[in-house]
Amino acid sequence: MEGLFFNVSSGYVEGIVRGYRNSLLSGQNYNNLTQCETIDDVKLQLAPAYGDFLAALPPNPSTSALAGKMTDKLVAEFRYLMAQATGSTARFLEFLTYGYMIDNIALLITGTLHERDTRELLERCHPLGWFETLPVLCVATNIEELYNSVLIETPLAGYFKGSLSHQDLDELNIEIVRNTLYKNYLEDFHDFVTTHPDFRGTPTQEVMSEILQFEADRRAINITLNSFGTELSKQERRKLYPEFGKLYPEGSLMLSRADDIEAVTLAVSISADYKAFFDAVGLTQGGAGMGGMSGNSDGKSLEDLFYQKEMEMSKIVFTRQFTPAVVYAWMRLKEQEIRNVTWIAECIAQNQKERIGNFISVF
Amino acid sequence: MSGAVGREAVFPTRQSLGLMKSKLKGAETGHSLLKRKSEALTKRFREITRRIDEAKQKMGRVMQIAAFSLAEVSYAVGGDIGYQIQESAKQARFRVRAKQENVSGVLLPHFESYTEDSINDFGLTGLGKGGQQVQRCRETYARAVETLVELASLQTAFVILDEVIKVVNRRVNAIEHVIIPRTENTIKYINSELDELDREEFYRLKKVSGKKQRDVAAADAEMEAARERQAAEQQSALKLDEDPAAPDVLGEQEDTDVIF
Repeated sequence: MEGLFFNVSSGYVEGIVRGYRNSLLSGQNYNNLTQCETIDDVKLQLAPAYGDFLAALPPNPSTSALAGKMTDKLVAEFRYLMAQATGSTARFLEFLTYGYMIDNIALLITGTLHERDTRELLERCHPLGWFETLPVLCVATNIEELYNSVLIETPLAGYFKGSLSHQDLDELNIEIVRNTLYKNYLEDFHDFVTTHPDFRGTPTQEVMSEILQFEADRRAINITLNSFGTELSKQERRKLYPEFGKLYPEGSLMLSRADDIEAVTLAVSISADYKAFFDAVGLTQGGAGMGGMSGNSDGKSLEDLFYQKEMEMSKIVFTRQFTPAVVYAWMRLKEQEIRNVTWIAECIAQNQKERIGNFISVF
Repeated sequence: MSGAVGREAVFPTRQSLGLMKSKLKGAETGHSLLKRKSEALTKRFREITRRIDEAKQKMGRVMQIAAFSLAEVSYAVGGDIGYQIQESAKQARFRVRAKQENVSGVLLPHFESYTEDSINDFGLTGLGKGGQQVQRCRETYARAVETLVELASLQTAFVILDEVIKVVNRRVNAIEHVIIPRTENTIKYINSELDELDREEFYRLKKVSGKKQRDVAAADAEMEAARERQAAEQQSALKLDEDPAAPDVLGEQEDTDVIF
């Protein structure tokens, strides 16, 4: 039933995304890329997929320039989708941009806190996180003004409300602000896909809630692991955990009390997937400690495994019909692709071919 | 060679000869001291050169690893965190202390790096993702900067030592090839002048004594003649004694002077 009228409004967008998906680099392409000797070769290999976007690059471009151009293509394609989408699909796509908006706002708040000229910061903002009132943030010269007159006008106002006041912006570390926003965003997004009448009971709810739960758990685990040895208190840390996901509530509670990796391992053991990750990177052996996180024998870190899992989930999304979740999956895959290419280009540029295979390819 | 360096403008006196001799002695002592100093510095210089070579190779490796760990960060975080880190760093965690080291009288600056562990400005960066990579990258770069500091202190020492060694060698050469030969020349000159004076004096004395002898001989001859004349006069006086008008010896008339 749910697919009956989907194509009326959103079929075109879905079709386009499936087309985009086919232009993602395959394992064969990656193989070719790893054989390259120079960045120019990489550029040449990318030409079928990226075409015009790379044409403007000078010979032997820097890896960041390359990544920038690839992001430009992603942005252009996403904007096209935005323009085509209507109704709940459009709303869904807007949700996708909020994550980038959070990054942009965090950047601008950092700039304002240090009384920088926020105008030059605008260039550094991620184009997908651009919204109409973003340049207005430059008008604000102090945090209070920023909060009272500018932030409440942004689409993210709801995420600020209730959890952050303008005093917090002064004192809190910007990372905590960012993660609080992100937590609120994830919860809101999850709420949206599970309760919106257009999505409730559709494949969208199924796949998106699975992906978002994974995202939430990943953030919770990462925040816990990364907060060891910093001044982040346990109460503050707990506030950053999204309140849904496979680990919520028991696992989150255990995570919030965790003092070391052992405790984290214990907390995540309620989910078989995460337990497998922790086993794989050897965090379960007590002696491994912090060193275990960085590099073990096959060079895979916990983050790599999380990325891998995310990519697999995104790939599976394409097996579902009649859902805008494919857009989400395509964006994640595309971002991973940009990261992969950047990594390969970096390895080539720095002549460190040993770890060039350390990317994630799912096709 | 020794002729080219000339001599100092001194009056050839015994006093200046003494001065010159002490000067020569001083120059020789200074020369041997400076030579030893230059050798010590050169030894140190070679050691520093070797260590610079090592440090540079180490720097190459460490910087490569560091750049690579930055690539890892950008892979894990999936974006540019440079700006955020620049803004959140308020105080230097990695600091450099300058000390001075004394090598044979040359003060060499020595940089010492240390970290203020209490300062941890961007501990929360990458909290959501990539935090471990960020921390690891920071450690790698801290090591890289350590190598750079070490290299900087070696390079500074290298430049300063180079300059000092040049100066010392110039002094050694100057003493060896200019001051000592010139002083020796001066001494030789003074000696020869003094000898000359001696000879002159001797000649003059000889002349004087020769003249004196001649004078004495002349005086002797005159005296002889006078005596003879006296004797002749006495003879004639004895003859004249018979004369009534014998001259009164104690009278008014003067006697002829007696010249010896």
